[in-house]
Amino acid sequence: MQIAVLSGKGGTGKTLLSVNLSHLANNSVYVDCDVEEPNGLLYYKIPKIEEEIVYTQYPVVNHDTCIGCRKCTDFCQFNAMAFILGKVRVFKELCHSCGGCKIICPVNAIEERDKELGKIKHGFYQGTEVYSGEMRVGEESGVPIIKALLKKVENIDKTVFIDSPPGNGCSVMESISDADYCVLVAEPSIFGLHNLNMVYTLAKNFNKKVGLVINKATDDEIIKKFALDNQINVLAEIPMDLDLARINSNGNFVSDDSRFRPLFMTILDKVLREGTQ
Amino acid sequence: MIIALPTSTSGEKSFISENFGRCNFFYIYDTETEIGKVYTNIYKDGQHGVGLKAAEFVLNQNADVLITPRVGEKSLEVFKTTNIKIYECTNEIVKNNIASFLNNELKELH
Amino acid sequence: MKQLLILSGKGGTGKTTVASSFIKLAEAKAFADCDVEAPNLHLINHEGVKESKPYFGMKKAVINQDKCISCGICQSNCRFDAIDFDGNYTVDKYACEGCAVCQLVCPSKAIEMVEANDGETTIYRGNRLFSTAELKMGSGNSGKLVTQVKKNLRDNLTNEELVIIDGSPGIGCPVIASLSGVDMVLIVAEPTLSGISDMERILKTASIFKTKTAVCVNKYDTNIELTRKIETYTLSQNIAFLGVIPYDKKVVEIINQGRAVVEEDFSVSKAIKDVYSKAIELINI
Repeated sequence: MQIAVLSGKGGTGKTLLSVNLSHLANNSVYVDCDVEEPNGLLYYKIPKIEEEIVYTQYPVVNHDTCIGCRKCTDFCQFNAMAFILGKVRVFKELCHSCGGCKIICPVNAIEERDKELGKIKHGFYQGTEVYSGEMRVGEESGVPIIKALLKKVENIDKTVFIDSPPGNGCSVMESISDADYCVLVAEPSIFGLHNLNMVYTLAKNFNKKVGLVINKATDDEIIKKFALDNQINVLAEIPMDLDLARINSNGNFVSDDSRFRPLFMTILDKVLREGTQ
Repeated sequence: MIIALPTSTSGEKSFISENFGRCNFFYIYDTETEIGKVYTNIYKDGQHGVGLKAAEFVLNQNADVLITPRVGEKSLEVFKTTNIKIYECTNEIVKNNIASFLNNELKELH
Repeated sequence: MKQLLILSGKGGTGKTTVASSFIKLAEAKAFADCDVEAPNLHLINHEGVKESKPYFGMKKAVINQDKCISCGICQSNCRFDAIDFDGNYTVDKYACEGCAVCQLVCPSKAIEMVEANDGETTIYRGNRLFSTAELKMGSGNSGKLVTQVKKNLRDNLTNEELVIIDGSPGIGCPVIASLSGVDMVLIVAEPTLSGISDMERILKTASIFKTKTAVCVNKYDTNIELTRKIETYTLSQNIAFLGVIPYDKKVVEIINQGRAVVEEDFSVSKAIKDVYSKAIELINI
């Protein structure tokens, strides 16, 4: 089963929830799909991390064969090629690896080579299998890394928790595409509501079952009201608690603390039950 | 000598564009003939890599000098492989910058 | 005119809370929200007449079914799995990256690249000028929209002294676009391990652009040790450290009333006022 944890806005507790749920669940996998700013690994003190490089392709121009017709530079929709001082130059960071330049080149002067886009880190920590994607600084899109990450857990017979990227862009869509259940995390503020509405629309568009966790909960009913109006199941409320914030900010599992363990166990139970229904 | 400037409106009295890659026009001035030409920046609405295309355009005009508030990392990388000199503009108006440049009053960028 | 940009790297550190307070304190007549993926500033500042325009990002492929001969060449050449087949070949608009390879290989010229409506830009005009935008679900962000937001602001400015810009999260192209032309960047950091690693990345980006930079820490008392670490790191990089802001439940309560934190008098607003006056001092040097 795949469970995706998402929130429209950063800093709402997506990672807090997904690492603690995977920590408590038996036979679980944690996948950090926030490849631009992966932080999940900070919790798992993994002694030996395996690394695998994710490649995409980029074009290399053979300047002897090239006739300078500029068909490739004109075709490239991503402006990754420019004709400078009589030579075609390729800017790897901008290339989306579509292969169009190679197809359009009339003299076969372009061949494709591998470039490193980022890497996937893999390891085990106290029974949890951990995958984390990391995009190289300066790259434009982490989607291929997310695709590679999800391929790793595609047919795995474990409970998979996916820590989605923030926002509602294409990388979020990729990360929830195969999920059986989506846990939305929101905080009770007008900002939180605005962003919850955004990801809720997204999950609904993909016909996903959803549940809601309110993090940094106060007396404010703003999120509960939204949940009620839209008939979203509120799984739990995580209180605003300075101890919890401190344990979490130091990269430790709050579910290891006896005060918070029952709360996270309850959330896990509900998520597993709803996900299999 | 040929001088290139990114501008937001067109002509020698126009404003310099704050952004090199997404400028509306390029002003290309030839110091020998004292004639300036205005070109539309057709790449300005691209999602990515507009700075590169701007650099490509400026170089294909055989410019010796570029006067601009700043250039991005990738365009700078391109310019460094060529002989073009980049100067930081000090004024909002195109012709004032050209005058300052000819009086050796502009600072080289990077 | 001076432009102050507020950034954070990581989301949720309190960037918009600080920005909205600064706008109040400065009685700023012009400001912008460049956080186009999850804009929030309009929830606090929304006075004046609203004027929205559709925003067109990149082009995406559309297959003309009348011309399509169902050869499947587009599908086999698409590297983004964006061409679906269920009796007809169609384009999955969320997966399409707009590379135009399908259009190139189509033997019957059945594919056109069509501009996609990716969201809208909005200007609020009244006593104050506010420029913002919102991307549609699944649309890729880019410097293009951020540049448009700033341009909308600039085109309508008269003679404002200070312009405040709420920046985008992350370190990518939108952040770089929001940096262009600003006089100073204030980074709102938070004392968590992830907050620190994201702050270091954003400082690196800002230094490439040689922009004047300063740091403050929000919710500092949630982890005093890490707050010290941020301060030490900041000073070691010769970056101005403008102070710390405590955590208080009241912040969310005030925000939820659609108000700026500094409209009430308590510890957080005092701290923000202090950071503000130091920031103004620094930007005018």
